[in-house]
Amino acid sequence: MMSPRTVARTRGRTIAAAALVVGAAAALSGCASTTTKTATAPSAFKQAAQDNASAITVWTDSTRLPDVQKYQQEHPAVKMNVVTYDGSADGSTYLQTKVQLFDRTGSGWPDVVFASPTDVTWASVPTNPSAKAFAAPVDQLVPASTLQGFAAGSLAPCQTGGHTYCLRNDIAQVVTWYNKKLMDQWGYQVPTTWAQYQALGEKVAAEHPGYVVGAVGDTNSQESYFWSSQCPAQQLVGDNTLKVDLTAPECTRMASLLDPLIADKAVSTQGFFTKGFDGSKVLMAIGPSWYGQYLFNSAFKVPAGQIAASAPLKWDGQSTTATGNVGGGIWMISSHSTNIKAATDLTTWLTTSTENLQGAPTYPAFVAGAKAWLANPANKGYFATDVSDVFLAAANEVWTGWSNTKFSDATPWSNAVLSALTAGKSLSSSLPAWQTAIVNEAKSVGYTVVTR
Amino acid sequence: MTALQEQPLAGPASGPARRLARRRAGQAGRTGRVGYLFVAGYTVLLLAFGVFPTGYSVYLAFTNADGQFTGLGQFSKVFQDFRFGPAFANIGVYLVMWLLLVVVLTVVVAVILRSRVGSGVSAVLRFLFYIPGALAGVASVLVWLFMLDPAVSPAARLLRALGMQNFDQVLAPGNLPVILVLIAFWTGAGGWIVVMYGALNNIPDEVLEAARIDGAGPWQIAWRIQIPMIRKWIVYMAILAFAAGTQLFVEPQLLQTASLNRVSPTWSPNELAYVFAFQNGDFNGAAAISLVLLAVGLLCAGLLVTRSGLFKVDED
Amino acid sequence: MTILSAGSRSGGTSDGKAGGKSGGGANRAPDARTGAARRTSRLVSTLVVAAIIVALLVFFVLPVLWLLLAPTKTDAQLNSGFPLSFGSFGQLAAAWRHLTSFQNGAIWLWLRNSAVYSGGALILTLATSIPAGYALALMNFRGRKLLLTVTLIVMIMPSAALVLPIFLELNLFHLIGTAWSIILPFSFFPFGVYLVYIYFATSLPRDMLAAARIDGANEWQIFRRVALPLARPVIGLVAFFSFVGNWNNFFLPYLVLPSSQQFPVQVGLNQLLSSTPSFNPVAGKGLDITSPELALAIIIAILPVLVLFLFSQRALVSGMLAGSTKE
Repeated sequence: MMSPRTVARTRGRTIAAAALVVGAAAALSGCASTTTKTATAPSAFKQAAQDNASAITVWTDSTRLPDVQKYQQEHPAVKMNVVTYDGSADGSTYLQTKVQLFDRTGSGWPDVVFASPTDVTWASVPTNPSAKAFAAPVDQLVPASTLQGFAAGSLAPCQTGGHTYCLRNDIAQVVTWYNKKLMDQWGYQVPTTWAQYQALGEKVAAEHPGYVVGAVGDTNSQESYFWSSQCPAQQLVGDNTLKVDLTAPECTRMASLLDPLIADKAVSTQGFFTKGFDGSKVLMAIGPSWYGQYLFNSAFKVPAGQIAASAPLKWDGQSTTATGNVGGGIWMISSHSTNIKAATDLTTWLTTSTENLQGAPTYPAFVAGAKAWLANPANKGYFATDVSDVFLAAANEVWTGWSNTKFSDATPWSNAVLSALTAGKSLSSSLPAWQTAIVNEAKSVGYTVVTR
Repeated sequence: MTALQEQPLAGPASGPARRLARRRAGQAGRTGRVGYLFVAGYTVLLLAFGVFPTGYSVYLAFTNADGQFTGLGQFSKVFQDFRFGPAFANIGVYLVMWLLLVVVLTVVVAVILRSRVGSGVSAVLRFLFYIPGALAGVASVLVWLFMLDPAVSPAARLLRALGMQNFDQVLAPGNLPVILVLIAFWTGAGGWIVVMYGALNNIPDEVLEAARIDGAGPWQIAWRIQIPMIRKWIVYMAILAFAAGTQLFVEPQLLQTASLNRVSPTWSPNELAYVFAFQNGDFNGAAAISLVLLAVGLLCAGLLVTRSGLFKVDED
Repeated sequence: MTILSAGSRSGGTSDGKAGGKSGGGANRAPDARTGAARRTSRLVSTLVVAAIIVALLVFFVLPVLWLLLAPTKTDAQLNSGFPLSFGSFGQLAAAWRHLTSFQNGAIWLWLRNSAVYSGGALILTLATSIPAGYALALMNFRGRKLLLTVTLIVMIMPSAALVLPIFLELNLFHLIGTAWSIILPFSFFPFGVYLVYIYFATSLPRDMLAAARIDGANEWQIFRRVALPLARPVIGLVAFFSFVGNWNNFFLPYLVLPSSQQFPVQVGLNQLLSSTPSFNPVAGKGLDITSPELALAIIIAILPVLVLFLFSQRALVSGMLAGSTKE
């Protein structure tokens, strides 16, 4: 048995050894750099050995699970292994983590995955020098005509280095949501500009305290407001250069527009998706097209026939409208798949077939699919007005200056801004902290950051 | 987990072990070779999952992805990372609060259960306090997410009285150490109370009698006699509580999900190492963080051990 | 209520005992004033004790009670009703249906995985740690001290720091994705070895071994026939702590297992949380998994451990301290 002295001696020895190592390390000048070169240039895509009978593994979020199951029913000959996961939503890194793992182990990759646009940034390059990029270039797998069928700009997050690495599932264009029943009842006009929006908010705060015209407390509220405002919070200006400038007037105008509304409690600092948010007190919401079904119908349980959508808000003096985008999933095909044919067929069916898209849970990115979706009464019957034109127009107005980056924009926003708002600080005063948080995140994943 | 520490500690103090050690000398050689067979299985596991990973961590921390020697490069890289300081500061605040609470409260409660409450009631209370230990890990966090939500919590009034009207305010990043301490205490304290109770039980009645005759009140007896006599156990508890405390991962991670990302995804050093390894694919940087954590943990444990003479076992 | 009265009662008995034995010691010369003061201070002290116990009782028990009641209510009832009310069995059945239909009964798969991992590790832990602890305590061989020292150091090392290298190591041996990648690291339990070591070192009568040796039994026979039967309490303890620890382990399986089909229930719970609108509203819309289902999942996940707690209650709270009871 060891005595305290033995322990002390052993420890003494360990410490001495450690000191020796450290000393030696310090003495050795010209040590290798901690960063090694990773292959960034996408090498030519080489498929794994193919076996058209092999089973394909599909990772989907629970929302798209029924679509995958429907494909399975219609194609019983295809062997499929369907796994539900968080869908990489909201800054989740589950998929990225697991692919890192598979790259190390050399097996286990799913053949087809549903993911968020952020994931393409890492999936299109190898995770380590000996690995192959996870995402297969779909432009080499599907006809060019198929790619042309997607809404303008909707494939932008998928494209890098001259290739397209994913097919867009849905677009989440930001529109102006309002409760028509309440608006009519109180005799309010639906705003068309941000100035009118602010005025209405002040009016609501005075005349109907407790009701809100928006919320900034969600992890994606910045995409509803600051993206719509064309704020250069994360704008790729070069291959690996990111412009982050929250002092730009496009950013400060939104912060100063919202601050008085927040102070008057016309805009909530809680998130719409915070547990227990009272949906019956929501007069307006600036948010994506999927708010209709998911927020108002499922979460808030607002009765049918009350909620309506109108075009994105304009800034005074601007002729063109720009709007934001909140999410919108993508499908990727694994470059390691041994049954690319089946994987491609499934992915194509999920993202482009009218049969699937007309009943899709969210607004399809594929134009023909979107038309079929809008023609389906089941997707519109809930609303007080016809949302077709609003959705169609807004889908083409998404501002392209908010780039798809290697980090999720949810993290700096939530960490820096939401916690400050919860603590009672103003949005304007949180902008510097937000700037720092974005810059830190960007640098940690290897971007060069510029501020103008 | 916690309760079995009773016996290892019972060993050092008791006579048989010492006697046994003295006798062992006479048997040398008798059982020589066979001993290896008995320890073989365990030794393989120890090498594979204790020694080798530690060595591998060291190797990774001093090299880069290509296996080139980098000196202290990985360490200076992670020190400079903007998330490193906050993560270690967070865990530091948490550890101080957690250790203070667990040491003070478990000892006080054990003293009360030992000398101020009937033995039947004491046994029932110990069991009730111990029960939440079954909900360690993910389950405990989930339960506390409900407990801390003013909308559903049975303690909603208390939360509101503290100025927290909704879940967001409860999960404000500044509250995290307190929340984590609550959760850790809820699942872990019961076991430690049992251990401390057992330790107090070990104090001979005569000692306490003598103190009573000298006119010492119950609190004086606790402070002057009982607590000093279980000092080693307290140190032991502190070491293990500390080691467990440095390992926070799933708790802040779940709170991050539940707080809608208001809590940083790299709140604790373990989470940061995880992000380095699996998000940035930087296993070397992750190993450097793990080593720092390991060094801090061993250093503190070492200090406590040498200062208290804890592992003074059977030989000199 | 019972606690309060129990507290004061016990105060009385212990005082009585002390008084009885010391029987009119030097300090027993109370005049009326100090007697009253002493009564007051005793009252205050009893009140403080009672307050601490009641507060702790609420702290420890209330969440458990709430958890047990939660699955019987709907999400709405949870939000609006009295927190400690009982809902209905119908609602419990509904929560059950929703939970078991999540990913076609994934929870059963997770429970089975947990059982395989914890059970497999348990067998290996017992098979390796009992002989090892025995040999360390009662045999003499070179390297014995070293082995003990390393065991002690590893015991206080934060194990999570080693998970990453363990992952890389498992990968080296192509074990990732197999059940072994969990079972093998789980079965390394230095704590159990140390516990067995102490037990044998302190509790096994040496004469018994000597007698067996004289009878010509070899070391293995002695271990089987003499040591093992005596070691039942410590085997039970090692088994209990190994099983509970591994059942509740999260980090290693979370990191190492690639597929959700292989998750143990703890990691499964995490996945359930991230796909339920209760805490992650943006993911998992349209699922039936709400707060009551989550509460039910927690209960199911910890049920095996809870049952183990209940059955080994006496051993845990008193029997485990056998080694430290007064002689």
